[in-house]
Order: sequence, then structure tokens, then C-alpha cells
Amino acid sequence: MGKVNNNVPLEYSTEENNLKIFGFWVFLGAEIMLFGTLFASYFTLSGRTGNGPTGAEIFEITPVLLETFILLASSFTIGLAIHAMRLGSKKATMSFMIITLLLGAAFLSVEIYEFMHYAHIGAGITVSAFTSILLTTLGTHGLHVTFGLLWGTFLVIQIAKRGLTSVTAGKTFIFSLYWHFLDVVWIFIFSFVYLKGMM
Amino acid sequence: MKEFFAQFAIPHPSLLIYIAMASMIIGGIALVAIVTYFKLWGYLWREWITTVDHKKIGIMYLLTALLMLFRGGVDAMMLRMQLAVPDNSFLDAQHYNEVFTTHGVVMILFMAMPFITFFFNYLVPLQIGARDVAFPRLNAISFWLFFMGMGLFNLSFVIGGSPDAGWTSYFPLASNEFSTSVGTNYYMISLQIAGLGTLITGINFITTIMKMRAPGMTLFKMPMFTWSALIANLIIVFAFPVLTVALAMGTLDRLFGTQFFTMDNGGMDMLWANLFWVWGHPEVYILILPAFGLFSEIITTFARRNLYGYNSMVWSMLMISVFSFAVWTHHFFTMGQGALTNSIFSITTMAIAIPTGVKIFNWILTLYKGKIVITTPMLYALHFLPLFTLGGVTGVMLAMSAADYQYHNTMFLVAHFHNVIIPGVVYAMLGGLTFYWPKMFGFMLNEKIGKATVWVMSTGFLLAFMPMYITGLDGQARRMYTYSESTGFSLLNMVSFIGAGLMTVSFLMLVWNIWYSFKNSSRDISSDPWDARGLEWATHTPVPVYNFAIVPNLEKGSPEAFWDAKKNGVELFKGKIEDIHMPNNSGQPFIMSIFFFIAGFAMVFSMWPMAIFGLIGVLATMAVRSLEDDHGYHIHAHEVEETEKSYDKGGAK
Amino acid sequence: MAKFFPLGQVMGFIFSLVLTGIAMLVYFTDMSFTTGMIVLLVTAFIQAGLQFIVFMHAGETEDKWSIYSNIFYGLGLVIMTVLGTLLILLWDM
Repeated sequence: MGKVNNNVPLEYSTEENNLKIFGFWVFLGAEIMLFGTLFASYFTLSGRTGNGPTGAEIFEITPVLLETFILLASSFTIGLAIHAMRLGSKKATMSFMIITLLLGAAFLSVEIYEFMHYAHIGAGITVSAFTSILLTTLGTHGLHVTFGLLWGTFLVIQIAKRGLTSVTAGKTFIFSLYWHFLDVVWIFIFSFVYLKGMM
Repeated sequence: MKEFFAQFAIPHPSLLIYIAMASMIIGGIALVAIVTYFKLWGYLWREWITTVDHKKIGIMYLLTALLMLFRGGVDAMMLRMQLAVPDNSFLDAQHYNEVFTTHGVVMILFMAMPFITFFFNYLVPLQIGARDVAFPRLNAISFWLFFMGMGLFNLSFVIGGSPDAGWTSYFPLASNEFSTSVGTNYYMISLQIAGLGTLITGINFITTIMKMRAPGMTLFKMPMFTWSALIANLIIVFAFPVLTVALAMGTLDRLFGTQFFTMDNGGMDMLWANLFWVWGHPEVYILILPAFGLFSEIITTFARRNLYGYNSMVWSMLMISVFSFAVWTHHFFTMGQGALTNSIFSITTMAIAIPTGVKIFNWILTLYKGKIVITTPMLYALHFLPLFTLGGVTGVMLAMSAADYQYHNTMFLVAHFHNVIIPGVVYAMLGGLTFYWPKMFGFMLNEKIGKATVWVMSTGFLLAFMPMYITGLDGQARRMYTYSESTGFSLLNMVSFIGAGLMTVSFLMLVWNIWYSFKNSSRDISSDPWDARGLEWATHTPVPVYNFAIVPNLEKGSPEAFWDAKKNGVELFKGKIEDIHMPNNSGQPFIMSIFFFIAGFAMVFSMWPMAIFGLIGVLATMAVRSLEDDHGYHIHAHEVEETEKSYDKGGAK
Repeated sequence: MAKFFPLGQVMGFIFSLVLTGIAMLVYFTDMSFTTGMIVLLVTAFIQAGLQFIVFMHAGETEDKWSIYSNIFYGLGLVIMTVLGTLLILLWDM
């Protein structure tokens, strides 16, 4: 372990953590480009529906709003988890983490329902360029959420076992960055895939 | 059962492939036998496969790059041999397609990329006075992912068939309909795996350079190579995700029947070309910027002068990093978009020549009034300047979209990009290799053979590629496997073939040089045999595992810190030796990458249970890492002191 | 209990709900395409900024300028890529 600085929150207390947090911000830069490319492709292909349905024909507002509010709430709760972590409360940190993960699972369930619905009404991924890019964009976000659920679960286990140390705090803070970022991506999906499509 | 094995057969076999297959198998068995006979498995595992040391990882990148240089070079010779005489039947059309495809992919992604990554790894921590990179374990993951991607791609040669749709793999040619073998699957998936490794490298080195510089080293005191590495890695981080998306779409199209790049149901084949070059053009600058950095190091050393225009060098690179993302359309001016688009991208393309020109002038002005010492690395640099400028000027010709309708898809284009990549990237890599060889291995390469190699290489290069400018303007199309006598291209193509032969000779001379110097060169060299300038020369040769016993202090330093220390008595190492914290070795990166390889190979052949097994393996290794508690280890101060003393005893300094 | 719900984050959350509500007007009222797109662009980018600054604490360390330049560099390249792609493949094809 390197030197420990006690004047800053736990997650910034070691040089190793500072490197990891900075590195993760750089990674988020790459993620911005990844989703940016998906959006560029989506805008290009969204009107190219071939013989398949258009966005306005298949989008439904209810599940979309449900997904949006669930994800917004989970972004709020992970923020609270970090706040609790800075107050040094292991119990509150874990509770907020678990709520976040449950909300994430709820989001994923709605999204899986949505995908099955699309497949059911003849808008599967192989139907047209539009459905391909729609489901790939949503699916990429959904895969990120799935990965986040696995990651978060392992973090909860570690906090339970080891308590709030510089290592677990650093990891949890990085996880919170990831989770907030997925919320940002969803806001763009919500606005420019769904709302624009239904406008 | 028979069907299962039939899918692995080569769809278009020939004697050449069987010979290559046999030699690969024999080579593999020989390698295993040698390693087993000398009982090297444990050594390999402990010292190399599990290593997280940036210097060793760097050397593994170097070995891979040289191996791929050989493979790509053989491909190139086969292409030139086929075109040496009209109506040749050495290769048929299908094989010619496969060979030019693999030549391109191998040279760009599996030769040039690892070569520059080798320099990032070996030099950046030394140049900024750090003990390792920011994330040593991730660095090992980067290497092994890249290595497995490389392995998977090369496997296509003997199992299932090589990709044949060009290194750009344009759709619809790359679709299942027109590329029926699994070759293009290999392309999509192996590049995905290797690209992931490259992206991680990018993140790692940005963090390293931004956060781990020695005290006192502000951004504008960084050596020029480190600056070029920072900017190249910045481009990597923002360009590679585009490739990730494009390859994922291509994979989905080929394996799952999606409609991204198809010809009906709304698919748009042009989107592939667009995305490919959104990544592809920045990729060119990822390769050339570190080359510029290396030339800056070499030219300042052997002109015995500080770099002229340090700030303009940095700002021109920053400008290039933005502009490199704004020119991609010039790769497909003839695709059918309107004059407005072509004009915009013509102008941005010509504009990017300006910062590049600034750099050329800076080098020339560094040479001006310098006390030039002609060594092998310097000779590479001096050949680079005129040859690269020539390539750059033909690039500006190609940038004019109206004129491009004439140049497009001809040998003129082929001549242009080889003219920038060979004198630009390859010369920098070989010059840099010669320059840093003593730092890595403790002996110099022979100067006589080295200089002769440069001359033979440049002669070969000019003979090989100048004729292509002419035949290109006369209308010889690229990627055509043969031509008729009546075209009149015969003589110039024969000249090209002779040039390519000379280049092969020069590479053999390089190999000979390594062997000859290994046998005959003096081991009694100082840690600074070239009288060089950067911080990387301020430590011992060979470099100890912790790089610097005392972290250098650059509060009074400059980008050429070591020169200041030697000539102006600036003290770099203050304080006393303390315990040094180092990361532990780990086998996880290798094991995880093996799982990636398994998953990738299974996906190429749509063997889903095996693919899922591989992916679960990947996740499982991640889980193990997540739960692991690894704090590294300490080298104690007295151990460091002992190591330092052993260097004083003689031999290497 | 109240100490676990800091005012800044609660306000941030409420504000993000309000912004989502405004964006939803695009669906529930009758707007022209241009107005709708402007509403969506404005609300989406404010929401993103909110997440980055309030929830992700982007500006709390000495690295803040590196982090912000990284994000803005990425954003600039994305805008360039999206507009360039649309120009090439849709608007000027």
C-alpha cells in the first residue's frame, strides 16, 4: 500500500485509488465515443425500415417511462450510497447499494419484457436496419446494466466482508461513476430514440 | 462428425498453404521441444507470461511485431511476385485477395500497432521517471488480449480460410453472400479482441502520463516522445470505440442475420465504410505521431541541439489529434455524396498538412547549425525527411476530391500510403529500435551493417514504390491479381518486384545484424552510449526492475533533463534510497485472454456452447480478480542499494 | 436519518425529474419537430451536466481540468462524428 492521506474521503486516500478513478474517467471518455457512434448509426438508419415497422408504430410510452424513472431513482440512490460512504456508515452504504441493484434489476426486467414484446409483434433484430440498430443500441446499454449488476453484487459482498476500506471505497466510487454514466446514456436514449421517435 | 471437422478445412487450398501449414506445425513442435529440452517452461511462466513489468511486456510486443513483420513481408513479396510479369499464374484471384487482405491487416494492426506499443511500454515510464505504468496488471491484459487477437487472426490461414475482402472489409463484399468462408468472421472477432487490448493500453498510458510524472516535470517539460505517446493514446481512446461498434455490427450481420450493411430491408453498406474510416483515419495518426516522437528524440541526440520549436511541436500534434477525426471522408470521395461534403473534407484534409509541415520544418531547423553525427538511427531520420515529405505531398494531391476521381483505387494510392507509412512509421520503428537497443539489451548493433541496411532499404523502397505512382496514373487498378501484356505495365511492375526484393534483403540484413552484434559486440558499454539527452538514459543498462533507485526531480530540469544533468550539472537524483513498492506478477491476464481466445474461436465457427463457456470463463476471471486482495510487495532499501552497487562493479554501468 | 439525504443530491434528483417531465411534454403535447428537438436537446444536455457535476463529483479533485477536458474533447468528437456521418450518408447523399 502506498501512502495514506487522511484529509480526503476514503476513496481518494491512496495514490492507487486516485490513479484508478482518473483512469475510469478516461474510460468514460471512450464510452462516450462508443455510444456516440451507436447514436450516429441510429440516426442514419432510423428511417430505413424496409418492410418492417417504424419506431412510432412499436414504441409504447408506459414501459419507457417506467424504465426512465427506475433508472433515475437508481442513479439517485447510488449517489446516496457514496454520500453514506463518506459519512463512514457501512450499513447505510450497503443498503443504498442494494436498493440501487434492485432498481437495476427492475429496469432490466422491464427492458427484457420490452424486447420480448418487440419480437412478438414482428420487430425482431433481423427485420430491418431500423430494428437492428434499435435493439443493438438498447442492448448495448442493457448489457452495460447487466454487467453493472454483477459488478455491484461483488462489491456488496466485499463491503460486507471487509468493511469500508480505501480499497472497497475506491471500487464503490468507481462503480458509482459507471452507474451514473449509464443513466446519462439512458437519458439520451429516452430523448432521441423514444421521444423523438414518438413525436 | 465428418461435417463438424469439414468446417475447419481450408476452402481454397493450394500447395503454398500446405507448405506454410507444415512449416507452422513443424516450427511449433520444434519450439515446444526446445522449451521442454532446456526446461524453460517455468522460466517462461514466471518471468514472461505472468509478468507485469512494463519493460518485459514491451519486449514481448517487440517480438510479436517482428514476427508479424516477417509474415506481412512474405505476403508483400508474394503480391509483388504475382504482379512481376503479366498474366502470371503464381497466385489465382482468390489467393491474391486473401494475401492482400492479410498483408494489410497484419502490417497495420499486428505489426505497426504492437511496434508503437512496444515503444510506449518501454520508454514512457522511463522518460517520465516512473516505476511502472499506472495499471501494471491491466497492461498485461492489454498485451495478452492483443496477442490472442493476433493468434486468432493468423489461425485463419490454416483453419477455415483467410479473410478475402480487403483490410477495409467493405460491405457488401464482406457479407455472407460474397465472402462465404469464415475468413471475415475471423477478421471481425480477432480485431475486436486485439482492439480491446489497444483501448486498455490507451487508458493506461493517458493515466500514466497525466498522473505519474516525476516531481517537477510539468506537461511542457515532457520529452517529445512522451508527448506524442500521450496524444496518440488520446486518439486511441476516442477512435477505437468506433471500430468496436463497427466490428460488432459486422459480426451481428454475419452471424445473427441483422440488417446493418445488407442490400435490402433498409440496410446501408456505406455505413460500414463510414464507420470504418471514422476509426481508420485517426488510426493513421496513432501510428505516425509516436514515429514523429521517436524522430524528435533521434534528431536532437545526433544534431547535438535542443529540439527547435518544442511548443509548436506540441501544439501541432494537438491540432492533428482533433483534425484527424475530421477528415475521414477523403477515403471514399467517390462513394456518391455531394460536392459540399467532398469540399469540406478536401479542405480539412489539406489543412492537416499544415501542422505536419510545421513539424518537418522544426526538424530541419534542429539540424541547421547542429553538429550532426551520422549514426544508423540518424541515417533513418535523414532518409525519413525527404521520403516522407514526398509521400505527404502526394497525399495533398489525393486530398483534392475532384482529382481523386482519377487517383482512386489505383496504384497511385498504394504508392502514396506506403510512401508515408514506410519512411514514416517503419523507419521510425527501426531507427528507434537501433537507438534504444543498447538500453534494452546492453550491447550496440553493428553500425556498418546498420547503415548499409538503411541504404539498401531506401533503394529498395524507391524502386518498389515510385513505379506505382506512374502505373497508377496510367490506370493500373489496385487489388487486381493480374494484368495483360498490352497494358504496358510489365517493366515497371518488374522494377517494383526488384525493389521489394531489395527491401527483403534489407530486413534480412537487420536480422543478420542482430545475430552478428549479439555474437561480437562489446558488453562493456556505458548506460549512455549515444551521448543522449532524455531521462530514459539516466538509469542503468540494463534497466533495473524498479527503473530508478531514487525518483528523479525535475524542478530545474527541461525536456532534455539528462543533457542538463551532464552538461550543466543539474542534480536529478536528490534524497536517499527508500523502500520501493512494486506490483505482484499474475497469471490472470494470460488465463483471461485464453478464455477470450476460446470464445472468439468458437464464435468464428458459430459454436455457441463453447462461445458461452469462453465468455463465462472471462467473467469468472474478472470475479476472481474482484474478490482478490493483492497489495503488491516491497523491495527494501538495502536490496536496492545492493543492486545499485552491482552496477558500479564494471561491465554495464 | 436526514443526514443520509443531503440537500444537494435531493434537489438534483427533483430537478432531474422536472427535466424529464419537460422532455415528456414533447410526447404529450402537440409540438413542431423543430421545437421538440430543441426541447429534447436542451433537457438532455442539462440532465447530463447535472449527473456529471452533482452526482459524479467531476470537479472535486485537482484533476478536474483533465477530467473536464477529457469529457469535452469526447463530446466534441462525438458531435463531429454524428454530424459528419449524417451529412455524408443522409443530408448530402
